[in-house]
Amino acid sequence: MDKQQTFIKTIREHEGIIYKITRIYFEDEEDQKDLYQEIVFQLWKSYDSFNSKSKWSTWMYRVALNTAISFLKKDQTKLKRSSSEQLENFKMEPFDPVMEERIAWLYRNIQELNVVEKGIILLYLEGRNYEEISNITGFSTTNIGTRISRIKQKLKNQIKTD
Amino acid sequence: MIMELDEMKSLWEDMSEKLERQKLLTDKVVLEMTQKKYRTKLNYISIPETVGTIICFAGAAYALVNFDKLDTWYLVLCGVISVSFCVILPILSMRSISRMKKIDVNHNSYRESLKLYAKSKDAFVKVQKAGYYLGFIFSLAVLPVAGKLLRNKDLLLEAKLWIWYIPIAIAFHFLFSRWVFKHYTSATKGARSLLEELQD
Repeated sequence: MDKQQTFIKTIREHEGIIYKITRIYFEDEEDQKDLYQEIVFQLWKSYDSFNSKSKWSTWMYRVALNTAISFLKKDQTKLKRSSSEQLENFKMEPFDPVMEERIAWLYRNIQELNVVEKGIILLYLEGRNYEEISNITGFSTTNIGTRISRIKQKLKNQIKTD
Repeated sequence: MIMELDEMKSLWEDMSEKLERQKLLTDKVVLEMTQKKYRTKLNYISIPETVGTIICFAGAAYALVNFDKLDTWYLVLCGVISVSFCVILPILSMRSISRMKKIDVNHNSYRESLKLYAKSKDAFVKVQKAGYYLGFIFSLAVLPVAGKLLRNKDLLLEAKLWIWYIPIAIAFHFLFSRWVFKHYTSATKGARSLLEELQD
């Protein structure tokens, strides 16, 4: 299997993760789609420097989260949209209504967090351990622990006022 | 809806499982995403900034080419102020925008990228703010220069013009300054609080 095929296969295996990242940072579907494409593009661009000794997921989270930050600048810029027709139809199917409502509520609460917390909570919910989160984010493991407790408290308060 | 973080995590896991089963991407779509021509590209150039820069540079070039027509010391002074404004501010503005490009998505940690983002946002707001306030001086300096270069008239000697022009310029700046102040203060606050958050 050549490099491109391996990359495509890996992306398809992890497509859900990229989708979750885009939804955490943006509410608007078009923005999510834009970010999705940009993440895949950046992953491909950096693919040569991916060291197979390190975990693919750790590397992917790092590139995807950094790309999301570069997209935050959107408020200062205008996007030139040039999506292909194929991507116009790219949309996750809705879950059952109850689940969909719970998930929408979950995302709403995460979106209330600040940008630092969004990245950390995403990795936490993805089941990454403190060391991996620390590797990706650049915060110490102790700091990650403190931040997660703070986020827990913040979410509790948010939920109370819901 | 009451839910603890642990419940959130289990809901997240359920969702992840379902997402994994939904295979929407085809090889063709992924391939398209890797190709620049199909990419929804975040062009790090804002349209207003680009148009503004082109206008400013064109104006400055025109003034410089015809600078010898500014034949009094006060017109030369106005010319220097106008040209400096038209050259320096757009450069600073474009520079602060392009700082965002420095995010190395492959090697930077999330923390490093956020720091870069917050700093570039802070710098951008500062340049915009300076541009707004210096714009008042520019609006006074550019009129005599334009009058001289375009109509060969020394507008500084026309008292009547200044009687209505200065109050209009002041009123315009006064009206917008509240909005500008509010907008820039909140943008600066956002960038600063993010930097503080990253200090922990």
